[in-house]
Amino acid sequence: MFNAMFSMIIFPGFLFLAALSFLGEFIDRKIYARLQNRVGPPWFQPVADFIKLLGKQEIIPTEANQTMFKMAPLFATASVVTAFFYIPLWTPEAMYSFNGDILVVLYLLTIPTLSFFIGGWYSTSLYARIGTVRSLTQLFAYEVPLFMGILSSALLANTWSLTKITEFYVAHPWLWLMNLGGFIISLIALLGKLEKTPFDIPEAETEIVAGAFTEYSGKLLAFLRLTLNIEMIVGAALLSAVFLPFALTYNPYLDFVIFLIKLLSITFLISLARTVVARLRIDQMVNFCWKYLVPLAMMQLLLNLAVKGVMIK
Amino acid sequence: MNVVQKVINWSRLKSPWVLHFNTGACNACDIEIIAALTPRYDLERFGVLLKATPRHADILLCSGPVTRQIEDRLVRIYEQMAEPKFVVAVGTCSCSGGVFNGCYNIKGGINAVIPVSAYIPGCPASPKAIMDGVVKLLQSLEQKEGK
Repeated sequence: MFNAMFSMIIFPGFLFLAALSFLGEFIDRKIYARLQNRVGPPWFQPVADFIKLLGKQEIIPTEANQTMFKMAPLFATASVVTAFFYIPLWTPEAMYSFNGDILVVLYLLTIPTLSFFIGGWYSTSLYARIGTVRSLTQLFAYEVPLFMGILSSALLANTWSLTKITEFYVAHPWLWLMNLGGFIISLIALLGKLEKTPFDIPEAETEIVAGAFTEYSGKLLAFLRLTLNIEMIVGAALLSAVFLPFALTYNPYLDFVIFLIKLLSITFLISLARTVVARLRIDQMVNFCWKYLVPLAMMQLLLNLAVKGVMIK
Repeated sequence: MNVVQKVINWSRLKSPWVLHFNTGACNACDIEIIAALTPRYDLERFGVLLKATPRHADILLCSGPVTRQIEDRLVRIYEQMAEPKFVVAVGTCSCSGGVFNGCYNIKGGINAVIPVSAYIPGCPASPKAIMDGVVKLLQSLEQKEGK
């Protein structure tokens, strides 16, 4: 009981994940600033933002549905933190694992988007409603290539458990190179899930203020921002577990450093995309995902089927 | 003052998010405000982010004299901001009404309608003056909270 509480709240649960997500946000903003030839924020900036928002007044619009408005950020945070428990981090084994947990993680990562939809929709602001409709439209575009990309790696490993996937790729070194295409596809789809440029259409600040978050303030906004940051870390951890399961030395400290390097390099790629690419329109985004990403993911699936049939036997 | 309050005060000084609102300016001060937020001056060093919605913002950067048309909107925007909130008047017009003071369609400076925490004069106020004003506002808050 005590162990379970400890792992839920402190390590590797909420507090550890929050610290990691602050580090992720700092790295993201710093790289973004350096690529624009700026100095960028100091290291404590994400922490200061979070504490400031916790200490601010909380305004709930009278028109809004009180329960839904308040519950949505909590649901979002809880689901991303839960998803983290099923992902193998620096050890080859996840804390909890069963056959099929890869699907559970993928669906837990979908809940934040739905929570943002519910929170934004019930805040009854027009900007928030346009933003939420856009985020759902976007969901149907990026979710399919993301699932296909990640499940193609699981197909090669012949298991739907993240722990067993890692075991398989440790037993068959260099086979992860087969999934590089799937890695790139999933990374692009992850940008849509995290609502980062070029897919930040749901919260395009030059068009619709702040999308689903328009009416949120104070603590609720702090938790929404924390959710997005944690989602970035969990998404990066998922990609590194599924697509980059190499360099495991079975020395916990060394493996932790390697895990951080993998995580930060994925964060770097996300910030790079944020800097060099402009925002797409929603129809361009849906077209891009269905016309290019899905066929490429299909080819990755076929490739993995062929490899499975020819090479492994 | 206990530790929690100290930490909250520290975080407020380190992360001022601004909202830019034109209350009837000729656009010169707005251009200078935008210039202050560009990578050349890099206000994110001090944690300043430009926010599009009053719910997220801590500081309201107003430019221009308050026209009778904009008065209601200005009050509404101010009331939509979450406490604690501060107002900075950028440019001579927003400090006092400037050359437009006394016109039939002008209420006066920002302080004729809502309370103002800092005044930045200049026609237009240069980006450096705006940064100086924001930093001085933060310093004055620091001294006030230190007492």
